Amino acid sequence: MTVSAQLQRTHFVVVGAGGLGCPALLGLSAAGARRFTIVDPDVVETSNLQRQVLYSVAQVGRAKADAAAWALRQRIPAIEVDAIVRALRPADASAFVAALPPESIVLECTDAPALKFALNDAGLEHGTPVVIGAALGLRGQCIAVRRGVACYRCIYESAPQDLPTCESAGVLGVAVGLAGFVMASAAVSLCDPQQAAETTGALLAFELGAGSMQTLRPRPRERCPACAAAQPSRFPPLQASA
Amino acid sequence: MATVHIPPALRKYTQGKEEVSVDGGNVRDLLGNLESNYPGIGERIVDDSGAVRRFVNVFVADEDIRFMDNLDTSVKDGDEVSIVPAIAGGR
Repeated sequence: MTVSAQLQRTHFVVVGAGGLGCPALLGLSAAGARRFTIVDPDVVETSNLQRQVLYSVAQVGRAKADAAAWALRQRIPAIEVDAIVRALRPADASAFVAALPPESIVLECTDAPALKFALNDAGLEHGTPVVIGAALGLRGQCIAVRRGVACYRCIYESAPQDLPTCESAGVLGVAVGLAGFVMASAAVSLCDPQQAAETTGALLAFELGAGSMQTLRPRPRERCPACAAAQPSRFPPLQASA
Repeated sequence: MATVHIPPALRKYTQGKEEVSVDGGNVRDLLGNLESNYPGIGERIVDDSGAVRRFVNVFVADEDIRFMDNLDTSVKDGDEVSIVPAIAGGR
């Protein structure tokens, strides 16, 4: 199967339709992805508009998941997109991922550390690749997680309690936008078995102030509980390289 | 000297500098000298037992020190050392 065909078959599940999720959805659809589920409990607010680029003033007050789905259909009428207007709780992440079709990739686009760890663990547990991103200030990070390489929990161990947030530390719209597009690029590369081997397990870290983009190579942590519970990939392009 | 990339959250200790030059034959010495030059920064990187904190990763030449010799990982002149804390924003 060609990468283009795989992109069209793949079900991209974008959890969080905010500063990361909007550009991730745009990037995926621009690359040829056509099947989406968008999960977000919030409504569009005026203060979101400068960085949550799928929305306009007309969507203020509307559920983000619905508004993002509508915006994608406006761009590409043939697109298949489901909107889920609710919060995905960390405790529900495993059941949520288990119920996804095998040809799914999850993009964790929220600002909730606990959910990043929960989706990392659930993706490994059920053989579903997960792309995890974050942005703060001028910085962004992205990692694509699958069995056999360092996962998010290998790198950071457990959810911290006191990380600065965009509310407390601010974020440049360009930085969160770039992080979302980097996430889309990572998710697209998972559809290509050759690129996937390069992408997965690498921590991409950029900082706009210094103009730097690093590809860091963390290693799997010994006794990582998420890696210990990892199952073979259900996602076809990764099965050969798992 | 090695070049240490300072994450934004720690730049208040380095007078806003994004990178600083620090001596040290290994990571332990380098972090000690970093603390001497920029008081307060060390405790944000290592805990009371001297271990690198959770949520923080240290890379020498893009390699994770946990899988080299951890704090005893050697550092050469010209090496680039990155301190990479977790971030979680994205709304």
